[in-house]
Amino acid sequence: MLMCKDLAAIASDYIDGELPVLQKMSVRMHLMMCRHCRTFIGNLRASSNLLSAHSSGKADEEFLRRIDERVAEALLSVRKNKDSDSE
Amino acid sequence: MTDSSRDNEAQLIQGMKAGDNESFQEAVRAYTPGMLAVARFYLDHSSAEEVVQDCWVKVIDAIRNFEGRSGLKTWLHRIVANRCKNRLRSANREVPTDFSESLEPELANRFNAKGRWDLPPKLQFHDSADTLMENGALSDCLDKHLSALPETQRSALMLYEAHQHKSDDVCNILDVSASNLRVLLHRARQKIFLMVETFQETGEC
Ligand SMILES: [Zn+2]
Repeated sequence: MLMCKDLAAIASDYIDGELPVLQKMSVRMHLMMCRHCRTFIGNLRASSNLLSAHSSGKADEEFLRRIDERVAEALLSVRKNKDSDSE
Repeated sequence: MTDSSRDNEAQLIQGMKAGDNESFQEAVRAYTPGMLAVARFYLDHSSAEEVVQDCWVKVIDAIRNFEGRSGLKTWLHRIVANRCKNRLRSANREVPTDFSESLEPELANRFNAKGRWDLPPKLQFHDSADTLMENGALSDCLDKHLSALPETQRSALMLYEAHQHKSDDVCNILDVSASNLRVLLHRARQKIFLMVETFQETGEC
């Protein structure tokens, strides 16, 4: 018999559809009988959705501008090399 | 990926191949956060930023050989991962990882000896993710907890949830096995679950 603690340990695999069929079925059986685990799975799923909705990580603007500068510089030297090749 | 975002990506790639500065600026804004997440899996903060900068310069040449077999994002993340791995190899450093337990201790303590809930989750997270995110305090709290996660867990979580990579890609980029990725993801999600629970109960982070 699958206990609540066992279910909690594989809850992410269940949410992501990564469980083998038999295990998936025993999770479903357990969920039908256990209100606490239903709440847990629902809340864990909500936590996962929250992360997808959360900005996918911010990089600070100053760092981005430093990259822009280095890229612009490098592009310029690529262009110069091309021009001198074609002369 | 929708058709229109695929068209946008194709346009962006064309611009980058042509050496168009504006295309690069757009790409830098779209892809740098994800690239940083990859680099932070392997390296400390300042080394990670260094690697990401170097990669962008390298991309100027490399993009000409990009054939689009994978998406641009996956391609960029692989470049970053490879560079980080080389750097670790030359410094002879290993990535520290802990894959032993799949339950967070704080959650594991909430079951009795028979494995039934002792302290079950009290309330349901009622709001949808979008409504929850409109709550600025919760969003700040989430940021705080994300930055407190071990790098390995955070990177796995960000690549999988926020950047919507497939498991195979995350394993490939982070060089972890499929089962280890499952542990990383589950541990990180539990921490976020515990955080939201505390936040909903007490209104405090
Ligand atoms: Zn249960």
